[in-house]
Amino acid sequence: MPEVRTEYQQELDNLEASALGGLDLVSSALSRTLEAIEHQDIELAQIVVADDDRIDGRYLEVHQALITLLATQSPVATDLRLISAMLHVLKNIERMGDQCVNICKVIPMSGHEPPADEEMVKLILSMGTHTKSLISQAKRAFEERNVEMARDLVVRDDVVDELNRECFRLALAIGDDADKREWAMTMLLTARAIERIADNAVDIGEQVAFVVTGLFREFEDASHPDANA
Amino acid sequence: MEGRKLKGRFGSRGKTEAEEGHNTMSQAGPVTETSSKPAAGANARRAKTIEAKEVNLYYGDFHAVEGVSMTIEPNKVTALIGSSGCGKTTFLRSLNRMHELTPGATVKGNIELDGEDIYANGVDPVAVRRLIGMVFQQPNPFPTMSIYDNVAAGLNFNSGRVSKADKDAIVEKSLRGAHLWDEVKDRLDKPGSGLSGGQQQRLCIARATAVSPEVLLMDEPCSALDPVATLAIEDLIGELKKEFTIAIVTHNMQQASRASDITAFFNLDESGKPGHLVEIGPTDEIFTKPQKKETEDYVSGRFG
Repeated sequence: MPEVRTEYQQELDNLEASALGGLDLVSSALSRTLEAIEHQDIELAQIVVADDDRIDGRYLEVHQALITLLATQSPVATDLRLISAMLHVLKNIERMGDQCVNICKVIPMSGHEPPADEEMVKLILSMGTHTKSLISQAKRAFEERNVEMARDLVVRDDVVDELNRECFRLALAIGDDADKREWAMTMLLTARAIERIADNAVDIGEQVAFVVTGLFREFEDASHPDANA
Repeated sequence: MEGRKLKGRFGSRGKTEAEEGHNTMSQAGPVTETSSKPAAGANARRAKTIEAKEVNLYYGDFHAVEGVSMTIEPNKVTALIGSSGCGKTTFLRSLNRMHELTPGATVKGNIELDGEDIYANGVDPVAVRRLIGMVFQQPNPFPTMSIYDNVAAGLNFNSGRVSKADKDAIVEKSLRGAHLWDEVKDRLDKPGSGLSGGQQQRLCIARATAVSPEVLLMDEPCSALDPVATLAIEDLIGELKKEFTIAIVTHNMQQASRASDITAFFNLDESGKPGHLVEIGPTDEIFTKPQKKETEDYVSGRFG
């Protein structure tokens, strides 16, 4: 059968590449954020904050183009599900970028002294590395429309959640020193932000399943933690 | 009552409902009902189910449509979509025995209206076509007749059983039902041909509904109309389904997705092969997650 709607198909492919490219921007922001945490690098933190505009810009640009496609091309079935999924994924990307900004904004607060608890810093860096890997996996799962790979994100996210809980336990045990307590609290905010980034990666996985199956199911519902996905 | 049902509804040749003593004013369903006045919900009960089983259609030796089995549900709009030549119009026309009007055209298989075979021996095709009305692509009001007479045409052919007062009431009800009354009530005696395309089509719909059919078939009813008139007819179809069973052939995918409850996708494997039913399902599912790749490709516009 002759190829029809090639320009439309091309446009869809380009927008998908653009949307997923946003994940690369997030990954890069997260890497630099982790570096800033590790080295208490306030200047690097400021760069991450400024560069978040690029992520926001990507969001706006692709979002607008997707709305235009909806209005002009009457997409249905898989095309429509893909566009809906991309709208969700863009939002996830934008939130992930914002979480990096949130982290970078509290880095100056931890001061230039050595960290109060090396253990906590290690945990946070580990959470970060693990989360970067989740982002990578989410991107690949979407590109390949791989539902199994998407579902696996839930399992790997559990590791991040556990590390986050461990940070919390360490923070509780930090002692009475006011400066140390303040430090610990900013570290908790950081851990929490990374945990949120990982959750967003899982959400992207749910969108993969939606595109492929046409069904939207939460892989893991916070309000029903014991229910099977 | 059983034996009466078949002859009574479809009549044997030469007899019509009116001549068998049933007042066409009765808005109730099949003539087998003994109640004289319709209850409030009776209008919805007018709509009946058409059941097609293994329908095969031929033009002489040419096998045009193959093995179609489907249900056309009451009080719903079923859209028949598919590329040109896939048999959807041929199939539609078999539902009210118009296919056979083409010389050499034949039907195999079973088509039932409310459980009764419309092709059974002794069934009068004219009676079938009154119960299963049709609206065509090109609006075709009778050009020399007034708007009033156009709507009353079906009643007129049935004879003098209908009083003037009754006829006036039916004409007004039909024109109101077709969303045309306000526009024409002051010129009912003017020719039907003086109306715009959209109005003419609504006039044809009023004409079809005036004889109290159970099913309305529409063959690309909006193809000759502008976008505004098209949307007006779609709104009308949404109203009409409360009273009738509706099946509509359309090559406009967006119309199918806007205006129908159920969508049936027909296709040809290649030119010269018979058309067949590929998939049928709720419209929202056909357009969000169709079962077959062929359907997905067609609704996404991946082939013509």
